[in-house]
Amino acid sequence: MPSVNFASILTSLRSRTYTTRLPLFTRGVLVAILAFWIAGIQSLWDVRAWGGLAPDQVGITTLYRLNTFPFIHLNIFHALMNALALAPLLERFESEHGTLTSLALFFGPLTTIPAFIYLFVEKFILRSNTSVMGASMWIFLLLGIEAIRTYRVNPYFVISTYNIPTWTSPLALLVVIAALVPSSSFLGHLSGLIVGYICGLGYLKFLAPPEKVLRWIEARLNLLGRLPYYISIDQKTYGRFGVLPSSGSPSRAGALRLRRDPRILKLPPYLSLLCILVGVVWLFLLPLDEYSRRTYISENALLPGQVHTYFGGSDQNVFRAYKHEVNSLVGKSNVEINDKLESIVKGLGLKAGRQNFTYRSAGRVYSGENLYAILQAPRGDATEAIVLVAAWENAKEELNRNGVALVLTLARYFKRWSLWSKDIIFLVTPDSIAGPQAWVDAYHDAHDSARVDSLPLKSGALQGAIAIDYAKEGRFESVHVVYDGVNGQLPNLDLINSVVSIAGGQMGMGVAIQEMWGHNDQYPDRLRTMLRGMLKQGLGLASGPHSSFIPYHVDAVTLQPFGDGWQDEMAMGRVVEGTFRSLNNLLEHLHQSFFFYLLMQRERFVSIGTYLPSAMLVAANFTIMAIALWVKSGQPESEAEPVKKEAGSTDSEEMTRPTVERDLFLPLGVVTLCQFLAVVPLYLFNHAPESMLTPTFTIFAIINTALPHALSHLLMTYYTPSAQQYQLIKSFSLLLLGMFLSSLATLNFSLAFLVGLLASPLTFMRPWPQSPAMRIACTVLLNAVAPTAVLVTAALAWHLDINTVLREAAFAWDVCGMYTPVVVWCVWWPAWLAGSVTVLGRPEVGKKKQKMT
Amino acid sequence: MRQLFSLLLLSLVALCFAPHASAADYHEQLVLRPLPLSALLASFNFRSNTTLSAFEAHNFRFFPRSLGQILQHAGTRELHLRFSLGRWDAESWGARPWEGAREGGTGVELWAWLEADTDEEADRKWRTLTNALSGLFCASLNFIDGTRTTRPVMSFQPEGNHPNSTMTNMHLLYGVLPHEVVCTENLTPFLKLLPCKGKAGIATLLDGHKLFDASWQSMAIDVRPVCPPGGECVLEMEQTIDMVLDIERSKRPRGNPIPRPPPAHELKCDTSKPYHSGDTCFPADYNANQDWSLSQIFGRTMKGTCPLTDPNVPPVCLQVPNSRGVYITGGATEKKNLDLVSRCYEIAPDTPEFEMVLPRPESNEESGQAAVVVQEVVKPETPLLYAERSFTGHGQEHGGVQTILRNPSPDTEVEFIYMETLPWFMRIYLHTIEARIEGQAGASKQDPLIQEVYYRPAVDRARGTQLEVRMRIPPASTVFLTYDFEKSILRYTEYPPDANRGFDVAAAVITILNPNPNPNATSPRFAAYNLRTTSLLCSLPTPDFSMPYNVIIFTSTAIALAFGGMFNIIVRRFVAANEGPEMTLTAVKERLRKRFGGFLQKYRGKADEKKSE
Repeated sequence: MPSVNFASILTSLRSRTYTTRLPLFTRGVLVAILAFWIAGIQSLWDVRAWGGLAPDQVGITTLYRLNTFPFIHLNIFHALMNALALAPLLERFESEHGTLTSLALFFGPLTTIPAFIYLFVEKFILRSNTSVMGASMWIFLLLGIEAIRTYRVNPYFVISTYNIPTWTSPLALLVVIAALVPSSSFLGHLSGLIVGYICGLGYLKFLAPPEKVLRWIEARLNLLGRLPYYISIDQKTYGRFGVLPSSGSPSRAGALRLRRDPRILKLPPYLSLLCILVGVVWLFLLPLDEYSRRTYISENALLPGQVHTYFGGSDQNVFRAYKHEVNSLVGKSNVEINDKLESIVKGLGLKAGRQNFTYRSAGRVYSGENLYAILQAPRGDATEAIVLVAAWENAKEELNRNGVALVLTLARYFKRWSLWSKDIIFLVTPDSIAGPQAWVDAYHDAHDSARVDSLPLKSGALQGAIAIDYAKEGRFESVHVVYDGVNGQLPNLDLINSVVSIAGGQMGMGVAIQEMWGHNDQYPDRLRTMLRGMLKQGLGLASGPHSSFIPYHVDAVTLQPFGDGWQDEMAMGRVVEGTFRSLNNLLEHLHQSFFFYLLMQRERFVSIGTYLPSAMLVAANFTIMAIALWVKSGQPESEAEPVKKEAGSTDSEEMTRPTVERDLFLPLGVVTLCQFLAVVPLYLFNHAPESMLTPTFTIFAIINTALPHALSHLLMTYYTPSAQQYQLIKSFSLLLLGMFLSSLATLNFSLAFLVGLLASPLTFMRPWPQSPAMRIACTVLLNAVAPTAVLVTAALAWHLDINTVLREAAFAWDVCGMYTPVVVWCVWWPAWLAGSVTVLGRPEVGKKKQKMT
Repeated sequence: MRQLFSLLLLSLVALCFAPHASAADYHEQLVLRPLPLSALLASFNFRSNTTLSAFEAHNFRFFPRSLGQILQHAGTRELHLRFSLGRWDAESWGARPWEGAREGGTGVELWAWLEADTDEEADRKWRTLTNALSGLFCASLNFIDGTRTTRPVMSFQPEGNHPNSTMTNMHLLYGVLPHEVVCTENLTPFLKLLPCKGKAGIATLLDGHKLFDASWQSMAIDVRPVCPPGGECVLEMEQTIDMVLDIERSKRPRGNPIPRPPPAHELKCDTSKPYHSGDTCFPADYNANQDWSLSQIFGRTMKGTCPLTDPNVPPVCLQVPNSRGVYITGGATEKKNLDLVSRCYEIAPDTPEFEMVLPRPESNEESGQAAVVVQEVVKPETPLLYAERSFTGHGQEHGGVQTILRNPSPDTEVEFIYMETLPWFMRIYLHTIEARIEGQAGASKQDPLIQEVYYRPAVDRARGTQLEVRMRIPPASTVFLTYDFEKSILRYTEYPPDANRGFDVAAAVITILNPNPNPNATSPRFAAYNLRTTSLLCSLPTPDFSMPYNVIIFTSTAIALAFGGMFNIIVRRFVAANEGPEMTLTAVKERLRKRFGGFLQKYRGKADEKKSE
């Protein structure tokens, strides 16, 4: 007899998800909690003061507090957590005892007894007056009941030969919650738990209303018929020590059912859209005070700005002389310049070395000769070194007269100190990108000896580098710190913080980042700074002589004076001196986890943990969609069938519903083809000579527009792919895209975010066999966000020549090893191509159906 | 330097034949040699002898008792201990003092010949020796354990005369601590070993502030038995301090050591520049600091002479061209040597203070031509070999070591032994060891540069790698010696507890062999020249110890306690065969009886037994 009963209940249960299954009283309680929380939002009537269990407020007229306090919560988290914990417990209780019994018990003894215990102890023993509220007392009460029940069946659990009675587990929870959750009432929970234990042991049975009465009420009012989700007094026999829905196969069946629910498959597009939106909104929240942090020096050994700097005085005279020397070299050849500079540094007693390099990129030859001098630490042992770089020409190809003269003067000045613990290397390069790159590569023996010479002189491990870009004549106001490395790698934030603290704090000059010459530290300026930083990071280009150092884990920045003020060259020299003194203090390589950040002001940053989710969400949207499409492709086309059948009767049928076999060959082939085609643009743009870049690009852009049509036509003519195959094409391509982007996000957040955003329309592309208008609209949209179109638009927006853009990209690829082209052509472009093919596809629906049946 | 050495040898030989051997038992000498680039090499040498018989009888006179007892206890026949700091700039300063025989690599270096029957006994004695010396010299010598000890095969030869009977069971052990920072606490015990304790004689010039501000300095202690032909064997102890002082830095007053920019009118300018004016000055102070006095560079004057020293050995010598004038205090006499580049000063025993002033050479400064330098310093001697060692590669997994060896001689080839002592966590790939001459593609087959390799591989956490390579470099060529290695990952307890800057790798020791060893010389000088490269800093993958610790501890505790307990109780449900009994008073009584009934029965039983008895 019971088995029949079980079966019917279980099957009906199975047809409902957990939330729809919640019985009446539980629902009522949850709704009441919610309602009281909503009521507590307004400020006119203080619900918490009205309903909380405050011991000195409880009088004969305010006894209602004994019943209201479980419904009232401190805040939304309190309410939410309690509701989450309470729902399963209360649901179980109710389904065992019936709705009416639960109602009677929970509005009667099970609430008031603990409340009285609490009041008694609090008021008369502890003599204090702490107001309590919240449903957690009920939770502990119910846990107590459950624990006793568990104890009867399974009295001990064994932890390494110790038998621990199972009924003590709520006590452990009680202690943990008291320790971890602030402002939780230990006493309130304890009183609930004690009552729970007593109740579980059965001593409170007499309090339950007599069954006969309940049955009578139920029958009279026909509650079972009138109320939904009502649990009758007769149903309560189920569950008690019997087989329950939470154990064994029924739940798995529920999960299976859930998976097969057609509504689930409707969800992913919205979920993807939500991911993208949240990702973007997340990014825009970052500049707010709540999400960004003030910078701080994590490496205490740096002690920036704690030393007096002495550079100045008669060093100014020396500087002027060196400036004359530098001026006399303007316009001479690289070798002549180095001859002169070498004689100067050798005169200072430094060891000097030279290095030739020749790079070829886009048909151009970049060659030159680096000159460097090593100041051996007076008492050191050549194990570590710091580098001071001045390029003869800065990144904008201006002559760095002051920078080179300043480096020479500083070399002479530093030579006089005996406190250096690390060697100091002074490096003068002919240009800002290729020269430092050649030198750093050769220093780490990672150079191609056909293009770059080995270094004749070496020192120890590089610990940091500062580049001076001081092309400006006259006095300056502030220092601009450039910190972007190749491929969006960043130097340790501690180095930037040190420079900011020395220049801004000690020297009293302004510090700017990301070409924000004025910064009012408000939201728009912060956002602009952050977006500029992200754009630079995303492009991954070298931004100065320091950029080449960063891939070798050598923290480096470039300092550029700007503005009109009263700071002179000596002040700039003192900034460098102070920074070098700080670096000199380093006991160990900068290692604090400060390599991933977004700066939004010189003293505000966001760390990776805070910003990464936005790029990850954008990347996840592709993966979600890909998985959804995979699942969907395995199911018969459900649009044609009636969605919902009668609960219960469909169960066995759904369990054995056939999955459609997926035809993998064609989709895999198409996606692979797209990926392989990506090699063509990658090769073309990195190997074409400079004069051919623009024509190549134009031709490629035209072909790029036509290519999806051609591919689609070919597909439809020779293979006539089905809707499922289109789904799979899209699924695979999105899966790859999501995978690439999420792993890229950890390396170069900005690039992953930008590409993800630009590729986000691909998530929503699908074939439109019936609607040519939609097809055309989608094709136009896709062509607007094609990599080629984006490239042209960006070049136009920044008033750049497309030729320059491509040449720079090829140069960065050849010299610095920038991988942005790989991401654009081998990650983004294939996904775009596959998406375009999908949009243009016209799967044969009728034919598909025939195949299926 | 060679002249100096021959001088010393001569005087030594002379002393050996002197009738009053006791007078020759101790002597000291300071040799000052100005170097290019305004540097000054000061070599202090203290030598004391004791006869072996007196040593065996614990009869110490000049030989320090503290060290002597340690040597006897540890069975040490010959000892060499080095404390060094900085690096010798061979490009500017030329050949090293004492042919490199009295210097060590950065840090502390110790090698000794111990008399022992077995290897285990030698190890035990070595441990005794290092621990005792550690206490004596306030250095962490006790950290020379098995991983840092090697037994070189080719690189070292005993310097003293050992009877053949003891030679057979003498063990050479070599240990090095590259990370040890040499400082004043090592100097004080060093001075205490001297008979005059730094209170008189040249040792009064040794001031910790100046010594450890030097660009390069090396303190050495060598103990060896010497048997002069026909004489009684003596145990000779030689203490040497070599330092290269930067004259400009040393001349700064101690109260104001900060190199502030000098006032503009004190700057030495190159007036020949067209733009030279009141506010523009091309500096011409290079090589300008060749005038100094003893008290300026050492911070104090010399307090007379040590009364115990051999009066025949002049206490101070100076190596400058004879053309330069030198002012000295009264009571001292100058003796110019015949080689025209050195002179010595004999100081009367009752002179309270000795001061020496080297004035600025009378160069034609008026003409303003700094290029026409009067021969003001002795041109440094070219060393037999230049060596420079550095790491190659980057990253934390693999690396390489590259040593650039340059033979400057135009006509003589150099044969030497290159020895590396590497820590065990640098696992070298021996097959990658390669020597190639610059400009040539690979190693030439017919005339191999590497002639012999002795290699003792490392054992993890037990001993380091020992690599000795005998090489030959043709004249006027540069050789690149390279090999690759792999970095192993340490256990987290093996990292030093302090800030982790990396792990120091000891200097490579290069011993240049005598090109034509004289077979019938009494003490064959095996090594013609010694040099050491700089030490290296090897960075191993290092966890950021605090962060994972915090994260793991906090999250796992919270999850395990809060989530685990809650989840378990909410989700788990047990299925019973039948409903459990109701909890009533009778049930409790029954249970109590069940539990304690046994005891009760036992008790009763015992009582019954007693009764029955």
